[in-house]
Formats: sequence, structure tokens, C-alpha cells
Amino acid sequence: MSALHPFSLLAIAAALPAFAWILPAPAGGLATTLIAMGLTLTPGASPGSTGAGSTPGWRPGLVTFRTALVIAAPFWLFLRLLHDGPTTVAMGLRITTMVASCVWLVAVLSPDRLVEAMVARGWSLAVAYLFGATLSAVPVLKARARRIVEAQRCRGLSPRGSVANRLRALRALALPLVLSSLHEVDERTLALETRGLGMGVRRTPLAAPIDRTAERVARWTLLLLCLAALIRRLA
Amino acid sequence: MRILGLDGVTFWYPATANPALENVSLDVGPGEIVALVGRGGAGASTLLLIAAGLAPRVTGGRLAGSVSRGARAGIVLPTPWTQVSGMAFTVWDEVAFGAANLGWPGHEITRHVDRALERLEIAPLASRDPATLSGGELQRVIIAGILAMDPDLVVLDEPTAELDHEGTRAVWRLVRSLAAEGKAVLLATSDVDALPDIADRIAWLEQGSVRALGEPSLLAEDAMCEAGLGTTVARLWRAAGLGAPYPLTVVDAVQRWR
Repeated sequence: MSALHPFSLLAIAAALPAFAWILPAPAGGLATTLIAMGLTLTPGASPGSTGAGSTPGWRPGLVTFRTALVIAAPFWLFLRLLHDGPTTVAMGLRITTMVASCVWLVAVLSPDRLVEAMVARGWSLAVAYLFGATLSAVPVLKARARRIVEAQRCRGLSPRGSVANRLRALRALALPLVLSSLHEVDERTLALETRGLGMGVRRTPLAAPIDRTAERVARWTLLLLCLAALIRRLA
Repeated sequence: MRILGLDGVTFWYPATANPALENVSLDVGPGEIVALVGRGGAGASTLLLIAAGLAPRVTGGRLAGSVSRGARAGIVLPTPWTQVSGMAFTVWDEVAFGAANLGWPGHEITRHVDRALERLEIAPLASRDPATLSGGELQRVIIAGILAMDPDLVVLDEPTAELDHEGTRAVWRLVRSLAAEGKAVLLATSDVDALPDIADRIAWLEQGSVRALGEPSLLAEDAMCEAGLGTTVARLWRAAGLGAPYPLTVVDAVQRWR
């Protein structure tokens, strides 16, 4: 999957939630949820999601699948508190599709490939970087949080045990995480500026991903299908 | 001819009343290495940001006086992990990030990147993921990334802070070779013992002002030793109560003993 052109991955991730909302509930939502959750099982050692030392095979996919489930679960809970059964199912399936699509996209889409693809297509580097940096924010924040937790463990603060213990650890994690992130933004801005991010010159693509005709056709087909479904729904 | 010229520069960071730099004048010519020394908070990093054209353009703040820069500058900041682009999964791509942003043709980028990797002695790391490197390796990757952009003014803020002894020596050798090629180098370092062999001139910063500017022999003067900024040999000589002038290096000390 991660070998697909970044625009194709974006198109799939955008089309699934669009279909989930356009197609009649609950069947439409159920179909898109099944596809999206199925996709979350596909990442196999994507560098963007798993980093160095990842083991190819099912493990990265299972992690992505579990992440999507964990993020989607609270939505179901709140929907159930606010709505009746059929509405909960309809809305829950749509939201689950959105969550699973996003989690899958973050797992399979390498930010550097997206930036290269956008630059090759004539987008400005600053805009392309904004997209890429957003995608890479999750693994970067995870890695930093892990380092902070390790440092706090060394000083005797355990993130395990009772709920109170975990809440205490969460509070101790949040402040340094936010402050260090803000500090890093300052320094990274300076570093990127000195490396020509704001020069306004068109960047030379180093290894622009190959955009096959079949993929371009598939993307247009997805867009047309979405439009057709929307027109049919509104008619 | 000068590559960088600061004339009476005063700089205030945003929302501060006191200037971080006050009335600083400094020239750096081609092939020259000027080292800034001073205690923490003396203004060295701010001066480097101004030299690199990042302050006040990116940092914000207000600048009085004039800055003339006759060439492109590249700056290496002290913490390597905040300088990675985050857009590269190999060291080669990371080093090429800046060069590609200049819009150079591919073969030109390849030539500069390969040369930078060789110069920093990190060619064997080219296919590694930057996230798996040690702090010292990453610092060399960042320096290579700046050199691959072929700047005429190289600005280095504590470039050896993350490096081991060998890495430190390699960077200082590199700095000398950059100057030999005609590049201007402005650096801030706390490794004052290396400066007699590296720097052409020393600027001693104190509370945002240049207190003294001169040859590396400045590092053996009484006032610098008293401020804790002299070389180790000079400070030891002074602490031992031996007479001035103090030797600058071990070689000087040996000659004095004979």
C-alpha cells in the first residue's frame, strides 16, 4: 500500500469518509467501515509509522488497527449517551470510517514522499512541508513522550498502577511535552529557514514518486463515483 | 573586502526592554575564522543569528545599526535534533534537503551532498535513518547539510557540543579547510583550548557588547583568565602564581619552562 503514489493514498483516505456520509446508513457506513478497518491491517513496516527496527508482517497492521479502535471507541460511547440505537450505529460507523482512514493514512503515507510528490506537481515547498510536518507530528510527539516518560521513571514517577497514579503521570508528562514542543518549533523554524525553506525558489524534487496512469485513472474514478453518489443521494 | 559587516548593531528581542546586543561592530573577511567567546547569555548566539540573517527576520525583535552580508550564509545551531528536516528517511536525503531547496539541478545537488558527506567523514551513514543516529553523528549530518548548500559565510554555534574527541578534531580540521577555500567562518564555542589553532581573531563578548577583539593571544590575557575564558594552560599558569605573560598552549608552556 505504501508504494502507491501519495495522492492515491490521500484520495482513498478522503473518499472513504465521503462515501460513509453520502451512502445510506447503516449499510453504506458499515461497508466503508469494514474497508477502512481492513486497510488499517495493511501497513507493513511503513517508515513513517513504525520507525527503525520495525518488524514487517502483521504486527504494524495490528498496531494500526488497535489504534483506530481505541480512538473510535469513545465516540461510540458518547453517541450512545446522546442518541438512540439506530442513530448511534449510523453516526458511529461514519465516525469510525473517518478515524480508521486517518489512522491508516498516517501509517502508510511517508511525509517525505508526500512533500516530493507535491513539489513535483508544482506546489510551493512551504505548503507541501506544512502537510508533511502535520503527518509526521504524531510519531515525533510519541517519541518525545516516550523519552519524557523514561526520564520520569528514572526519577521514580511510575505511569502504571492505579487511576490516580496514571493521572499524576499524565499531568507530569503533559507540561514538559507541550513546553519542549514549543521550544523545538522555535529552533526548527530557524533551522528550516537557514536550509532554504522560505527562499521562494522552486525545490528540486530528489525522488519524485512515480504517478502511474492507472493510479491517476483510479483517483479520477473515485472522485466521479463520489460526485455520482452525492447527486443520487440529493436527487 | 568583507563577507559580513556589523556596524554599531544593537538588537532587542520581542517584548524586551534591554538589548541582547549593544553597539557591536565586527567584520569577517573571506578565508577568515572569527571566534566568539563569552559566558552564557553574553549574546554570542544572538550575534550568530544576526550574522546568518535570521534575526530579526525570523526571530522578530528590533535591530539598530547596519548589517551588510555579501554572500549566502548557513548556520548550524547547537542542538542537532531540532535541526533535522523531518522529511528525510536517509542521511543522504537529510543532507540534500537544503541543497534541493535552492533549486539546483540534480547532478549539482549530488556532487555537493557527496562531497559534504566525505568531508564530515559520514559517507558510510548515507543510507541510515537520521532517527537512529547518535547526537554526535546527527550533529555532523546537520553540518554536512549546511555545507552541501555551499554557503560563503559559515556560522557555527557550539558545533562540537555533541561530539566526542575525534569528532571535535574532525570539525576543527574542517573549519580550517573551509577557511582555506576562502569561506568566512564565524563561530561561538566554549572549547577555548582549540581556538589558538583554529581562529584568526577572537571576539570577547560580555553582556551583549564586544569587550575585546584581537588575536588568539587574547585568550592568555589576565582579564580573560580571570573571567574563566582563557585557555586551560593560561589559567593554570595564572593559578599557579607564575608570572605574566601567560602561555597560550601546552607548546608555549613547554618553551617557557625551557
